[in-house]
Amino acid sequence: MKVGLFIPCYINQLYPKVGIATLELLEKLGVEVYYPTGQTCCGQPLGNSGYEEDAKGACQIFVENFKEYDYIVGPSGSCIHHIKEHFDILEQTEAVKNVRKNSYELCEFIVNILGKTNLGASFPYKVGLHKSCHGLRGLKLGSCSERMDDYYSTEEELLKEVKGIELMSLTRKDECCGFGGTFSVFEEAISVKMGKDRIQDHLDNGVEVITGADHSCLMHLDGLINRNNQPLRVMHIAEILNSCI
Amino acid sequence: MGKSSILKSIKENKPTLISLPEIDVNSFEETINLVETFKKNVESVGGNIKELGQIQDLDLEIKNRYPNAKRIFSQISESVLGNVQISEQTKPKDLENLDLAILKGVFGVAENGAIWISDEQFSIRILPFITNDLVLILQKKDLCQHMHHAYKMIANRTRTFGLFISGPSKTADIEQCLVIGAQGAMSLTIFLI
Amino acid sequence: MMSHSKLAEIFNKDEAKVNWHDKALWYVREKRDTAAHHVKGWEYLRDLASGIKANVLSNLDNYLVEFEKNAQSNGIEVHWASNAEEHNKIVYKILTQNNATKVVKSKSMLTEECHLNPYLESKGIEVIDTDLGERIVQLAKEPPSHIVLPAIHKTKEEIDVLFQEHLGTKPSNGDPQYLTNEARKHLRDKFLNADVALTGVNFAIAETGGFVVCTNEGNADMGVHLSKVHIACMGIEKIIPREEHLGVFLRLLARSATGQPITTYSSHFNKPAPGNAIHIVIVDNGRTEQLSREDFRSSLSCIRCGACMNTCPIYRRSGGFSYNATIPGPIGSILSPGMDMKKHSSLPFASTLCGSCSNVCPVKINIHEQLYKWRQIITKEQKQPLIKKTILKITGMVLGRPKLYAVLGISVRWMLKYAPRFMVYSKLNAWGKSREFPKVENGNFDQWYKNRKNNG
Ligand code: SF4
Repeated sequence: MKVGLFIPCYINQLYPKVGIATLELLEKLGVEVYYPTGQTCCGQPLGNSGYEEDAKGACQIFVENFKEYDYIVGPSGSCIHHIKEHFDILEQTEAVKNVRKNSYELCEFIVNILGKTNLGASFPYKVGLHKSCHGLRGLKLGSCSERMDDYYSTEEELLKEVKGIELMSLTRKDECCGFGGTFSVFEEAISVKMGKDRIQDHLDNGVEVITGADHSCLMHLDGLINRNNQPLRVMHIAEILNSCI
Repeated sequence: MGKSSILKSIKENKPTLISLPEIDVNSFEETINLVETFKKNVESVGGNIKELGQIQDLDLEIKNRYPNAKRIFSQISESVLGNVQISEQTKPKDLENLDLAILKGVFGVAENGAIWISDEQFSIRILPFITNDLVLILQKKDLCQHMHHAYKMIANRTRTFGLFISGPSKTADIEQCLVIGAQGAMSLTIFLI
Repeated sequence: MMSHSKLAEIFNKDEAKVNWHDKALWYVREKRDTAAHHVKGWEYLRDLASGIKANVLSNLDNYLVEFEKNAQSNGIEVHWASNAEEHNKIVYKILTQNNATKVVKSKSMLTEECHLNPYLESKGIEVIDTDLGERIVQLAKEPPSHIVLPAIHKTKEEIDVLFQEHLGTKPSNGDPQYLTNEARKHLRDKFLNADVALTGVNFAIAETGGFVVCTNEGNADMGVHLSKVHIACMGIEKIIPREEHLGVFLRLLARSATGQPITTYSSHFNKPAPGNAIHIVIVDNGRTEQLSREDFRSSLSCIRCGACMNTCPIYRRSGGFSYNATIPGPIGSILSPGMDMKKHSSLPFASTLCGSCSNVCPVKINIHEQLYKWRQIITKEQKQPLIKKTILKITGMVLGRPKLYAVLGISVRWMLKYAPRFMVYSKLNAWGKSREFPKVENGNFDQWYKNRKNNG
């Protein structure tokens, strides 16, 4: 099984340690991981802003980079969702179809493809899971509160096996944090308010560390936490699953 | 002019025919206690409900519940409380000060506490709305589980005017505070026989 | 014309009010969840509703003709209006034919859309909205801020003051019971003296020529049965094929809207009462155009339950007026650009595309996907702010060129790390107004990977 590691642009530049944790974790699980150089971005920021056409170049590069691999795995639900959902703007060649089909968000890859949940991690903190919308409602990483389906959560399956962790439950289980890509700047007031409200929910429920499978949401929350000096940290789920404390 | 241009525009713009799904009612069947479910739901929508051992107790119960009702219309032969007559000459506005209406419900729906009534029961349509309080009499055997059954039960009626009524009139338009008694009847009491 | 973001920003100046608004609507969303949980096969019910509506849109002309024929044979008069102006004229004509000067009206978003009230008032007709929430906003001279809860933006204290002024009530600290009761008396009088009653239509049934109107207050029925003439106004999309389909829609509607298992009154009109008249006005007003847009036509399946508003994290925090449209919230944001793209061009961007709206929608409209699609169209057809456009165009160019991207990535990181704070957190920079930037680490992932030994 050849796995291509997809490190989204903002993780590459701003959160290399998330990329490192992802890679180390996959290697720990015995996966043959390759990191194609020359990656840029999946084009999501452009598409969500209404400039899908201008993203074609980025999408094309993505396909070129990853068409060789059996699986494409990345630590960001929204990017994977964009590939699956919005690469319909490209001509649907075999390569494009395969890339769309074989792209996986890290947690769903581990649980559904590798079939593992206990990764031997330990992390003795009170953790709140932020279920990012594109992962939850787009990739269906879990059941969502609006739908009357049976309950499941891919991330929780993994987190539950982490030694010492205490998973805190939230008052609003899966409300959006207000990041939304360029929404965070073009609708600044609402974006900030939504983020503050999400953070408050975690604080009210005794959370010490907010985690999630999408670091863009966490970046937004982190920006607010740091500005307001709140007693919370954010960590990508790969970092928790890769830690032995 | 409106009609032909609208229809023409629809013809030009509609997609190719998508078939109509069949309703698989089996997906909704549950083994529930119809009477208990119905009672619970009537209460949850703000109605009162009481099982009566025998219809003879009806008037006593009504008097207990509505001691101040003076102008009463009754459609039920078992009740002698009615003192307001409705004829073809009666105008809707004449019922302005009606205190109580006692009507027969055709059947009830367990899932939502609704009762079907139609103007075959009340010759003047404003009656169940304008009356200050409303009493409906329902046979226990006339309960169905959900709305899919309900529509089967009224499929062959004479279609004039009819309604599902579920609880007394209510509103939550002021800060989401539920207030019973908006523009229609202030209370609804159901007697199950 | 202010954008959604600007209006939202203004609304957010009063954070306590935002919290209050958010909680009120979230409470309704939670009631909806509980109600839906009690229905076995809820998701299947949504599938059915969505499927029935898809069929309706693909056969709409035939259903409308069938409906008209059946309605007419039951003694109902049917009128057709291509647009708002025709609709208003038809209504006015019926009023003059009946020498009517006093009209009571129950909730109808269509008549809001057509601006019927001001039109009739300009002709000297008194129009009274009889739904309590609608009466409140009518007295306040405001439009509804929500399609099911028109006065959700008003506190009880505000309503108290409003009623004192217009209905002569006593100060009550906003006692809902007292205020509702006073409104009841006030409206009772209006019902008894009305010449004509106007209602909307929740569902019109092709097979029978009948239609259904749902209310909780009983105001539609109070109006209709006390008047000689009933005018019901409906958009062409309100048609459903058969009466049995009401079983599907009535199970979904109230649960989705308010969490009730059904509305208090679901009135089925098939024939006018002896001596009375029923008129139905069937209105297009842009709907057939929306039908032509393949990506957006399913927005016409909407049954106006308001659930997408209650769940929308933006709507809850920006208020209905921030949308500046007859129908606010998620569904409004996909309908309104079809009516007037220029005016409503900011609405499809008033979303994080979280998808909660599509999940609650009882007819499964893919609202958030349509928002995404409108964005692609609007950036092409509407003039965009130069800065936004330039930035995004350049971004696209850079992301298509890995080498250039690598250089720029490094310089952005350099900027964030070493540029003085006042430069990074300037006024132009919306991110930094209330948020910190990420702390930049030494090196990016690319560099780390290159330096690592034994790479595969
Ligand atoms: S779009 Fe769906 S959820 Fe929103 S009002 Fe219409 S039917 Fe309800």
